[in-house]
Amino acid sequence: MAKEAANNLVETSDYIGHHLVNLTFGWCEKTSSWGFAHHQQDISKSLDSACDVSEMGFWAFHMDTIFMSVFLGVLVFGFFGLINRSAKKGTPGKLQNFVEFVHEFIGSAVSSGYHGTSKIVAPLAFASCLWILSWNLMDLLPVEMANFFGQAGSGINYFKILPTADLNAPLALAAVVMVLVTYFSINTHGLGGFLKELFIIPLGPLEFISFVSKHVALALRLYGNLFAGEMIFILIAIMFGQFFMSFSQTLWFLPGLIMNLAWALFHILIVALQAYIFMMLTIAYLNLASTKH
Amino acid sequence: MNINATFFAELIAFCIFVFITYRYIWPSMASVLEERRKEIDEGLQAASESKRQLEEAKEESSRVIDAAKSEASTLINQAGSRADQLIDEAKEQAAEEAKKIKDTAESDIAQSTNKAKETLKEELSVLVVAGASKILNKEIDESANKEIVDQLIKEL
Repeated sequence: MAKEAANNLVETSDYIGHHLVNLTFGWCEKTSSWGFAHHQQDISKSLDSACDVSEMGFWAFHMDTIFMSVFLGVLVFGFFGLINRSAKKGTPGKLQNFVEFVHEFIGSAVSSGYHGTSKIVAPLAFASCLWILSWNLMDLLPVEMANFFGQAGSGINYFKILPTADLNAPLALAAVVMVLVTYFSINTHGLGGFLKELFIIPLGPLEFISFVSKHVALALRLYGNLFAGEMIFILIAIMFGQFFMSFSQTLWFLPGLIMNLAWALFHILIVALQAYIFMMLTIAYLNLASTKH
Repeated sequence: MNINATFFAELIAFCIFVFITYRYIWPSMASVLEERRKEIDEGLQAASESKRQLEEAKEESSRVIDAAKSEASTLINQAGSRADQLIDEAKEQAAEEAKKIKDTAESDIAQSTNKAKETLKEELSVLVVAGASKILNKEIDESANKEIVDQLIKEL
C-alpha cells in the first residue's frame, strides 16, 4: 500500500516534471557538440551522446518556446498585415472591423497613457499586447495535447506550447521595454540627469534597485501568472489521469471536469488581463520616462 | 528558472515584430482609419449641405407659390374692377346715347312743330288772303299787302 502510494507520487512528480521541461537544443560540454538535451526521466537517456537538460549551460535554446512564439507572431502579425493590405476604402468588412477595433482600443490606451511624441510607443504597445495575448491563449489548449501529438507522431517528447511559461520570453520583452525606458529617460533628462535620478535623487542607490526591479517585476508578473495557471491545469489533468489509472478513482472524473472548466473560464480573464497589464505598464513606464519632473 | 540563450532569440524576435508593426502594420491601419474618417466627415458635410439646399429649395418654392397666389389674386381683383369699369362705362355710354337720342327726338319734334306752325301760318295766310279777297271780292294784291299779312302771321 505504502509502496503503491510512493509509486503514485513518483509518477505524479514525473508527470509534472515532464510538463515543465522545454525542448532544449544547446551546447553539451560532455560531448563538445550541439544537440538536443534529454530529460532525466527520459527512456532514451541511455544515449551517451547527449547531455541532460540541467547539464547544459547558458548556451541552450528552448526550441519549443522559440518556435511557438515566432509561429504565433507570424500568425498574428501576418493576419493584421493581410487584413490591412486588403482593406477597402468603402464599407469595412467584419475582419477589417475587428482589426480597426483593436487599433482603436490600443490607440486610445496609448493616447490616454502616453503624452510624449514618440511614434514607437503605439506599435510597441500593439506588438507586445497582441503577441503576449496570442502566447497566453495557448494556455487554454489542453495541457496534454502537445505531448500527445508529439509522442504519437514526431517523437518529440517535450514540447511546451506556452511561451509565457518560459521566463526567457517575458524577460526578453521586459528587457526591450527597459532599454526603451532608459533611452527615453536619457533623451528627456540627459545622461547626467538620468544617472543622477538613478543613483542620487531622492533615495540614493535605492532608485537604481527600483528601476531594475520594476522591469524584472514586469516580466515576472506575466510569467508567474501564466506559469501558475499552467501548473493548475497540470494538477487538474493529474486528477483526470487518476480516472484512467484505477477504477476506485473514477469519482475524480466529475470534479476534475468541473474544475477544469471553471479554471479555464477564469483563466480566459487572466490571459487577456495579463497581456493588457503588460501593455499598460509599458505605456506608463515610457510616459514616466519621457516627462520632465 | 532556467534562463539561457532563448532570451536573446526572443529579444531579437520581439524587436523584429515591433519593427514590422512600426514600419508596416500600424501606419497602414492608421491611414486606412484616417481615410475612412475623412470620407465619413465629407459624407456628413455633403448630407448637411444637401439638407440646407433642400431647405432653401423649399423656401424658394413656397415663395414662388406665394407670389403666384398674390399675382393671381391681384389679377382677379383687376379683372373685377375692370369689369365694373366696363359696366359703368357702358352704362354711361348708354345713358349718353339715350340722352342724345332723346335730344334729337325733341329737337326733331320742335322742328317739325315749328315747320308745321310755319306751314299752318302760310296756309293760314293764304286762306286769310283768299278769305279776305272773297269777302272783298276783289283781288288783293298780295305784294301790296304783304306787309299786313306778314304782320298778321307774326301775331298769330
